[in-house]
Amino acid sequence: MNEPNTSQFSPLRTHLGRTVLITGAGQGIGAALAAGFLSRGAAVGLLDIAPEHLNLRAAELNKAGARLAAAVADVADHEAVTEAVERLSETLGATFDVVVCNAGISPKHEGRGVPMAGMDPAEWRRVVDVNLTGTFNVVHATVPQMIATGYGRIITIASVAGRTYFPHVGAHYAASKSAVIGFTKHLAGELGPHGITVNALAPGRITTSLIRTVSQQVNDEVVAATPLGRLGEPEEVAEVALFLTSDAARFVTGQVIDVAGGWLMT
Amino acid sequence: MFDFTGKVLALTGANGGISQAIASLFYGYGASLVLSDVNGEGLDQFAVELDPSGTRVATIAHDVSKSEDADAMAALAEERFGSVDFLVTGAGLYLAQLVESMTDDQWRQSMAINLDGVFYTCRAMIPKLRDGGAIVNIASMAGHRGSFQHAHYAAAKGGVLVFSRSLMHELAPRGIRVNCISPGLIETPLIQPLLRSQGEALLRATPLKRFGKPEEVAGVVAFLCSRAAGFVNGETIHVNGGLYVVG
Repeated sequence: MNEPNTSQFSPLRTHLGRTVLITGAGQGIGAALAAGFLSRGAAVGLLDIAPEHLNLRAAELNKAGARLAAAVADVADHEAVTEAVERLSETLGATFDVVVCNAGISPKHEGRGVPMAGMDPAEWRRVVDVNLTGTFNVVHATVPQMIATGYGRIITIASVAGRTYFPHVGAHYAASKSAVIGFTKHLAGELGPHGITVNALAPGRITTSLIRTVSQQVNDEVVAATPLGRLGEPEEVAEVALFLTSDAARFVTGQVIDVAGGWLMT
Repeated sequence: MFDFTGKVLALTGANGGISQAIASLFYGYGASLVLSDVNGEGLDQFAVELDPSGTRVATIAHDVSKSEDADAMAALAEERFGSVDFLVTGAGLYLAQLVESMTDDQWRQSMAINLDGVFYTCRAMIPKLRDGGAIVNIASMAGHRGSFQHAHYAAAKGGVLVFSRSLMHELAPRGIRVNCISPGLIETPLIQPLLRSQGEALLRATPLKRFGKPEEVAGVVAFLCSRAAGFVNGETIHVNGGLYVVG
């Protein structure tokens, strides 16, 4: 059977010499990404808005004497992101050549996305600021160095909700994730000549704190509609990001890869 | 990158450019191989170079348009290695023909090799596949956006994409994942005529400013077969340097 892959990441040194920035690294998929890239030999910069999660994660990952640095910033704040990236680079002694734009929010009200007609415009703006503008801010702060070195790997985190109607999120989340996909494809064309690949992951339902804010019934519905008959694990998303940033995927760019167990097939 | 020791790969069209790279990569990762190709002699030559002892590689002549050949390949896989972990359908035929002057036989031949062959091979292998295994069908960029002078090929490859997504539902309860790869322009003998006539324009349209290499497709096949892709199912990964990013 297809059991979730939550085992330790294989100790391959596929990312030795790489310096990786991960946003939203404090928990969930971001935390799995951090563990994955560290296990592959990369130096990792962690960025998160919540100091409590970030510090906990950094302390946990630091045990093995890994090369890692952490900074608190709101990705929606361009200035704060630019400053944090500079600080992290300085601490790690290298500029970032791999970036995973993972920070994202999906506000829920009593376990459901609020209907658009009743949506507070401030909530709309916040979701777009974090999920879309935050992705721009992080890439904007790191891409000049990639262009300068002629190498880069950018991963954005979209969602199946950015590709089709997904009843369990709000319209702001869906729209922002669709926009992330457009941003990704455009960047692939623009940055390809500089040796930079840009790809998006579109996770389905992954067992993170985001999904624990919704009712069990919602998650049961998704499992029932997922051919593999289960939810995904954060490590399974991280594995795809590790692959897409590895040398083996060097001719893959501008693509959106679903990590959804067959829930949506595109 | 991956450890496929003790795993068995069944691969059609194995003497082709991309498939040879897949065979070499999986062999290097420790897998045993059941290779088939319409050119049995050429395949044997390739297999001997790959595994002179023949202990981890078995070969069979295989016209994918014939269902009995697929059954023979499946029987060989069982006889030599007991079962199969990964099935990759690499056989294909890519000829330039305009619809207006395309004969019934030309249309049928393309359908038979590019689409019927995938059905026959998958059907024959399903009973041999171990639970938790993986199928990767090699489709094509043409199957998504169409292709001038290749309407039959493109139609067949489009068929492979939806066939795969349908088969995915049938095999998911056994934990067998079914995914596709759609290569773009990969430097193989198959596309030399195309490169001669339109190579420069296609290169200009490719963001990475180069064509792909067979190994660059093989690496993605290996990923899709591996546990690292455990929640990737019913997907198509394009390997095209950014030439086509729709969908």
